[in-house]
Amino acid sequence: MRRRRRLSRALTDVELNLASMLDMAFQLLAFFILTFRPSPIEGQLSLHLPPAVPVTNVQTERTDVTEAADAGGTIAKTLEVSVFADNSGNVLKVQVGLRTAFLGPADTGNLHKLDQKLHEAFAFEGSPFEQIVIRVAPNLKYEELMKVIDVCTRQKTADGQMLHKISFVEMSGTEQAK
Amino acid sequence: MAHSPLDMSTAQPNLTPLLDMVFQLITFFMLVINFKDAALDQSLQLPVLGSARPLDTKGQEDLLVLNIDAEGRLKVYGVPREVQSYIADEARQEEARLKTKGTPLKAGEELPTMVVIRADRTTPFKLLNDIIKTCQKHNYRKFALKAMNRREGP
Repeated sequence: MRRRRRLSRALTDVELNLASMLDMAFQLLAFFILTFRPSPIEGQLSLHLPPAVPVTNVQTERTDVTEAADAGGTIAKTLEVSVFADNSGNVLKVQVGLRTAFLGPADTGNLHKLDQKLHEAFAFEGSPFEQIVIRVAPNLKYEELMKVIDVCTRQKTADGQMLHKISFVEMSGTEQAK
Repeated sequence: MAHSPLDMSTAQPNLTPLLDMVFQLITFFMLVINFKDAALDQSLQLPVLGSARPLDTKGQEDLLVLNIDAEGRLKVYGVPREVQSYIADEARQEEARLKTKGTPLKAGEELPTMVVIRADRTTPFKLLNDIIKTCQKHNYRKFALKAMNRREGP
């Protein structure tokens, strides 16, 4: 009986040594603090990129064809946008079909001009365009290209859907020389 | 009455609240740590585009992250890899995975994986286009072009 009482008192007197657990916890904390590097939030442009093949619109009526050809479509659902670059890889000129959208750098004002040109090509009722093929100079910088893509992805097709069919084609040397 | 030096040496601070606080901090860091960031090459300078929106696949989509530097070299977890063979291997593995799931890829069908392109802002289009064409050759059709919302650093 006396022995049991002594045992129970001994059990209640147990004291955990928290110092070692605290040491370990601080080591873990130090690891997490040292390896913690919050990365900046990245955005993205989502695209559906089929291989660059122009889609011929066989059912397009003659009137639509004329308008399409005028805007650079030439009997197809595809609108061509050509991006020329200078020697340093910046935008030199952008054409929508055969028309020049702007000359000079891809700044806010010029990109607005491009937006208007594309809007004219896509907005009219019965517009045959469903996709854009961007002909790009081989030395154009990725950042400059992204500005043009950004304008293209803002366009809506005739049925009100956001344009998501965009393809890229590399411009040949002779085209670039023009 | 003054305490003797013997009494001072037996003082036992209560470590429990300190331990609680440290565990709370550890929990915080464990929750915010993101091992997926290891796949991203932070040395790349992404282009800046105000309309770029953060990627939110809600865990439904597989991603193939391609870090491409200004010379068109591909880096995976910091290790340079050969573009053609890496993309071909990934496509093969993806097809095998779909087959195992019971939804094999039919001829001409596109892979459900989204290719995330993280290219340096000065990468020439020619180098980038070669990589995109390689992906298209292996039935990748969904692409995400990465950009920053605002310019970071100098």
